[in-house]
Amino acid sequence: MGGAGLIRFGLLLLLWIAIAGAGPPTLPVGMVAAALGAWVSLALLPPVGRRTRPVECAALVLRFPVQALRAGIEVARLALDPRRRPAPATIAWTPRLPPGPARDAFLAYASLLPGTLPAGEMADGAIAIHALDGSAGVAAAMTAEEARFARAFGLDD
Amino acid sequence: MSLLADGVTILCVLAGLVFFAAGTVGLLRFPDTASRLHALTKADHLGLGLVVLGLLPQMDSLAGILRLLAFWALVLLASAATGPMIARLLRRQGGIT
Repeated sequence: MGGAGLIRFGLLLLLWIAIAGAGPPTLPVGMVAAALGAWVSLALLPPVGRRTRPVECAALVLRFPVQALRAGIEVARLALDPRRRPAPATIAWTPRLPPGPARDAFLAYASLLPGTLPAGEMADGAIAIHALDGSAGVAAAMTAEEARFARAFGLDD
Repeated sequence: MSLLADGVTILCVLAGLVFFAAGTVGLLRFPDTASRLHALTKADHLGLGLVVLGLLPQMDSLAGILRLLAFWALVLLASAATGPMIARLLRRQGGIT
């Protein structure tokens, strides 16, 4: 517990220093803010002892700009090309990850991926995915992304 | 060297502005609220990412570079948290069928 709190405090303080600098007037405020942040994060998201896999994690992070580019270009083409209109659809997708913080984190991440926007749980336990283009293989793409996400954060064992 | 850096800045920031404009056009043109959310988030993230990328060569210190990257990461984080939340509310109110 103490170790996880210290790591989170350290990461938040690094973020503070990146944004506000490490000069004398801001650093004490940053330390208080990082301590509060670490404390709140421990209460909201207790450490679970998962092992992140650095290589898969790096691959996920490096893939992200490419995904952002694909997502942005897709939306921009739909918006700017007068001959095209979005054909939105809501698709039921069944996640492999059990309900909980890991699934919520994946759904938040999936909202940044091309064409998909998770919109909460449906009555039968599936997740409603709002897709800009209902004809594309949205469910298969979500499952592939989920597997990548689970590998990176050691959720698949 | 600074000419090259300035060229990268101008190209990337202009491309970023194109995506911001596309996001706004999508906001006006897309048929339903959830599609407008796609337009606002995806196109604007890419726009902001390109503006940040374009400004990186103008930074004279590592601290400035980290600060810019942190801005992009924070916007992505905030959007990933709120986007699905708004979509969930919409669906509960019948806005997404």
